[in-house]
Amino acid sequence: MKTTVIDIHNVSKIYNPDTIPVHAVNGVHLHIERGEFTALVGPSGSGKTTLLNIIGGLDVPTEGKVVINDTDITALSPNRLIQFRLHNIGFVFQSFNLIPVLTASENVEFIMLLQGAPKAERERRVKELMHAVGLSDKMDVRPAQLSGGQQQRVAVARALASKPQFILADEPTANLDSQSATNLLDMMAQLNREEGMTFIFSTHDARVIERARRVITLVDGRIASDTASVSVA
Amino acid sequence: MLIIIAWRNLWRHRTRSLAIITSVALGVWAGAFIVSLYYGMGNERVRIAIEQEVSHIQVHHPKFRDDHDVVFNFALDSLEAALRHTPGVKAFSLRTTVQGMLANASGSNGVQVNGVDPDAEDKTRGLKNFIINGGYFEAEKKHQVLVGKKLADKMKLAPGNKIVLTFQDIEQNITSGAFRIAGIYETANAPLDERNVYVRRGDLDELLDTPGRGTEAAVLLTDESELPAAMAALTRQLPGLEVQDWRAISPETALVMSSLDISSFIIIAIILIALAFGIVNTMLMAVLERTREIGMLMAVGMTKLRLFGMVVLETLLLTLTGCPIGFGLAWLANSWLSKKGIDLSAIAENLLKGFGYGVVIYPDLPGDKVCQIIQIVFVTALLASVFPAWKALKMRPAEAIRH
Repeated sequence: MKTTVIDIHNVSKIYNPDTIPVHAVNGVHLHIERGEFTALVGPSGSGKTTLLNIIGGLDVPTEGKVVINDTDITALSPNRLIQFRLHNIGFVFQSFNLIPVLTASENVEFIMLLQGAPKAERERRVKELMHAVGLSDKMDVRPAQLSGGQQQRVAVARALASKPQFILADEPTANLDSQSATNLLDMMAQLNREEGMTFIFSTHDARVIERARRVITLVDGRIASDTASVSVA
Repeated sequence: MLIIIAWRNLWRHRTRSLAIITSVALGVWAGAFIVSLYYGMGNERVRIAIEQEVSHIQVHHPKFRDDHDVVFNFALDSLEAALRHTPGVKAFSLRTTVQGMLANASGSNGVQVNGVDPDAEDKTRGLKNFIINGGYFEAEKKHQVLVGKKLADKMKLAPGNKIVLTFQDIEQNITSGAFRIAGIYETANAPLDERNVYVRRGDLDELLDTPGRGTEAAVLLTDESELPAAMAALTRQLPGLEVQDWRAISPETALVMSSLDISSFIIIAIILIALAFGIVNTMLMAVLERTREIGMLMAVGMTKLRLFGMVVLETLLLTLTGCPIGFGLAWLANSWLSKKGIDLSAIAENLLKGFGYGVVIYPDLPGDKVCQIIQIVFVTALLASVFPAWKALKMRPAEAIRH
C-alpha cells in the first residue's frame, strides 16, 4: 500500500504582490508517495525551485498548504519549522554547500549534532553513510580537497544523516561532469531502490529526467504534465 | 562543534583575523599600560602623602581641624605613652604647629610653623633626607629653622640667613622670634614646601608658652595593613582627641585613588569602543561573505539561537585571542618599568611636583584591574557581535542559498 509523504493543496506563490505581481507557483496540487524518484522539470522561471523551497519549508506559499506526514508545515511557527526540517527533510543543493572548515565526516556528523544524537551513534552512522556514498577513504578530507562529484556525495550523505522522510535535491547535477553526474545518480537510485528513500529533484538535466520514475513538468508555475516513466531508476 | 566551526572560521581569512587580533592585543596593551601608569602615579602620590606629608595617622584636638589655632593643644606625655604601646607604630612625631608670618629684609610670607623634635621628625618623615642646601638641626644650636626650597627661592633665602617668625601665642598675643636658617629642604610637594617651615618644638614652646603640650601627632605605621587596628587602638586610648587616617587628613589624595578607577575605566572603554568598530566591520564581512553557507545552515535545521551563538562565539574568539597577547605585552612592559621607573623629570618635573607627585613613576597593574579589562573586552566583543549576528539572523534561507 502506498503512503503519501507530501500532500500539496492548491499552493500558489506570488512575489511582489503589491507592485508587479509575479506568479511563481500557481494553484499546484500534488501528492508524493513514499519511495518516489521524482523530477520537477520545466524551463527557467517555471517555478521548480520555488515549489521545491515551499515543499522544503524554506519559503512560505501565498496560498494553499503543504502537508508532510500529516503535519501542515505552512501552519508551523518559524522555530518549529526549523525543527521540522531538521528531523524530516534532507537537502542537496546545486552548489554542494558543504561547510568548508569541516571535514567530510564532520559535515555529515554536523546534522546529527544539531539533532542531539549521542556521540557513539553519530560516529557509527557517519561511517555507514560515508561508506554508502563510497567515500570511506575521504572521511578526514575537507571539501576544498574533494572533486565536485565527491562533494555532492558528501552532501547526499549529510542529507541522509538526519534520517529524513525525503530528500529534496535542487539541480544536484548542474555543477558536475558527466561521469560524476552518472555516479551520483547511480548512488541515489540505489538508495531509493534499496532503502526506499524518497527523492524529489528539480532539474534541467536530461540524465536525471531519464532516470526519474515520475516527471512533473511545470510551466509558468502550473503543472503542465505529470507522467510516470517506464524507466527504472 | 560550534566552537570548532567558529575557531576554524577565524582562520579562513588569516590576514584579516590577524589584523584584528593584533589590534585587540595592542588596544589591551595600551589600555593596561595606561592603567598601570595611572596606578603607578597614584601609588607614588599616596606614598609621598604618607611618607613625606601626613603619615598614616594624625591626632589632633577635636576643634583643631576647624581652626588651626594653638589654643587647641593637648598634653603630649599621655599621648606619647599611648603611641609607644600601640602595635604597628613604626615612628611618630609630636608637633606644635602655628600659623604665622616669615619675614626678612626683602619681604614676608605666610607660613605654618612646625615645632618638631628633629630626630622624631626624621624618623617619621625622613625630613633630613630632603635637605638640599645647608644642614639639618644641630644639637647645640637653638633657634634654627628649615625652609622649603620654593619659599627660599621666592624670598631669596639661604642657609645662615636670619629670618623672623611672627605668630600669636596661647594668650593670643603677637609674638616673634628670630631664627637662623640651618638648611633648605625640598620634598616632592612644592606647594607644601612653600608653606611649611620647621623649628625645634622646644624653641616654639618657649615663644608660645606651651611647654609639654602640642597640637599634632603624626604616626607612621610599619605597613598600611596595620592602619585599621592602629586606628581602633588609638581611638580607644585617646577618647578626648580626634584620630584620623591619611584619607581623612588628605582627602584630595584619597580622591586621586578613587578617581583612578573611573578614569582608567573610561580610557579602556574609549580604546575598546574604537576597536569595536573594527571588530564589527570584520565580523560583518565574515557573515556577509558566508551568506550562502548561512542559508544552508538555516535550511538544514540550525536554529536562530545556534546561528546567533555561532557568530557571537566567533567574535568572542577573535577578540579574546588578542587579549592574552595584549596582557603579555603589558606584563613585559610592567616588569621592566616597575623596577626601572619612568623618569619624567625632563618633561614635567615642575608640573608633577606642583601637584605632589613623584617625577619617577613605577607602573603598577593591580590584579583587579586586569579582571576589569578582561570584563570590558568581553562585553565589547559581545556588543560588537550583536550587529553581525543580527544580520545573519535576518537572512532568509531560500534567498541566502542562491546568493
